[in-house]
Amino acid sequence: MAEDLVLDTAIRDWVLIPLSVVMVLIGVLRYFVSKLMRSSPVPDAKVVREGQIVLRARNLRSAANFIPHKSFRSRRIYYGNEENGLLYVPKGQAQNAQAQMFSDPNMAMDMMKKNLSMIIPQTLTFAWVNFFFSGFVAAKIPFPLTQRFRSMLQNGIDLSTVDVSYVSSRSWYFLNLFGLRGLFSLILGEENAMDDTQRMMQMSGFGMDPTKVNIVSLYCIVF
Amino acid sequence: MVSKAEEAELNRLETQVDNGGGGAWDYLCLIRKLKVRRSHKVLNYGLSILNDSRKRSGLGQEEWTLYEQVAIAALDCQAIDVAKDCIKVLQKKFPQSKRVGRLEAMLLEAKGLWAEAEKAYASLLEENPCDQIVHKRRVALAKAQGNIAGAIEWLNKYLETFMADHDAWRELAELYISLQMYKQAVFCYEELILSQPTVPLFHLAYADVLYTLGGLENLQTAKKYYASTIDLTGGKNTRALFGICLCTSAIAQLTRGRNKEDKEGPAELQSLAATALEKDYKQRAPHKLSLLSSVLKGLKVSP
Repeated sequence: MAEDLVLDTAIRDWVLIPLSVVMVLIGVLRYFVSKLMRSSPVPDAKVVREGQIVLRARNLRSAANFIPHKSFRSRRIYYGNEENGLLYVPKGQAQNAQAQMFSDPNMAMDMMKKNLSMIIPQTLTFAWVNFFFSGFVAAKIPFPLTQRFRSMLQNGIDLSTVDVSYVSSRSWYFLNLFGLRGLFSLILGEENAMDDTQRMMQMSGFGMDPTKVNIVSLYCIVF
Repeated sequence: MVSKAEEAELNRLETQVDNGGGGAWDYLCLIRKLKVRRSHKVLNYGLSILNDSRKRSGLGQEEWTLYEQVAIAALDCQAIDVAKDCIKVLQKKFPQSKRVGRLEAMLLEAKGLWAEAEKAYASLLEENPCDQIVHKRRVALAKAQGNIAGAIEWLNKYLETFMADHDAWRELAELYISLQMYKQAVFCYEELILSQPTVPLFHLAYADVLYTLGGLENLQTAKKYYASTIDLTGGKNTRALFGICLCTSAIAQLTRGRNKEDKEGPAELQSLAATALEKDYKQRAPHKLSLLSSVLKGLKVSP
């Protein structure tokens, strides 16, 4: 492009900076809200016991050669007999993970709280950005980029002639959304950083394990 | 378990703090992390930090952790007044906390008000049945009263849920031994060996209990475990060497008159153990060598 676009300084004062400030403030606010709503998990005695049984059985398996054969046999029966063995679960009673998740209202509740504190402000800010600042260029980055970055930096502008180094306001919003993590970890402490990016990954389903798929599907149903 | 490097670090900090070199806070943190019992030092240095308002406010949120640490150390040293003050401060800061409730119950315990403490622990457990520390305190409470049977009962109840806690199994084994309930102790030591198969101490204790139980089969097993202790310690365990000699002669006594099919193997093991013992004594306590040889002679062992 021969002639550069000139951006009004009012855009900097009224779009670029307010957008960033608002994103930071919302992040901080969300941190406190989620802190308020977080309920400390009370471990269920039964779940704890099951975990301990499995641990002990694993010890037995790995160190079986270290105790006399008689002791090993008595323990094996203690764990595995078909009437009241510790590890024996009658057929049909075994719950799969998903059913368990549905049967436990607390779990769904926790998940909903977590998602509420994240999805509502995000939708609202997105709507706000879309409504007020849609469709104009908010900033220019000082180096040239290839065409592939167009969808990342010029979201909301459908002009193929604009140079890629111009950033649209909606893209500025997204850049803030993902880029402020480091700042949050500075303000709110390491472990408290709002891990938007990771949660976003979880949501949209990049390379995740089956348990997480369950969470996502549950989230879809709950919502 | 405290590793060697950590222990060295702890000792270094200790001498540094003892000689007025500063670093008291780091020392206290390390004590907390390693869970070692240095109550007097914690009480001294912790209080000196807490009484200095400038140092105390420098800790920020850690201040309350220090209060808790000092309170427990004070209870351990029977400095009831100090503990009471610390707990009062914590109580003011965290009125509903169960952790402070636990401290209060421990205060009752330290004063010797067993019934009240018991009641406090019971109510804490009712709120949170998975509180391991409270479970363990209750066992300690019964033990402090001399009620070993009660302690065993509580410990069993605790192990029903937290059955992978090997420290609890160890405590239970020792309690059973103190009541001479060796069969139960054997089970506990088996459990310990299962959870940590390479710790020679458990093999040794297991062999000891089996030897005490007696009987041919137990003696033979005991001998095997003494042998595995020697194996795991690289031949440095005197007790296990003695154990081999004792076991072999006891087995020989029991099997006297029976057919002597595998007489050769055990005798060899025994004489090996006796030789190792003699060499060890020669090196480290030469004046007791005559004692040893008379003991070995009594066992009809010839190196």
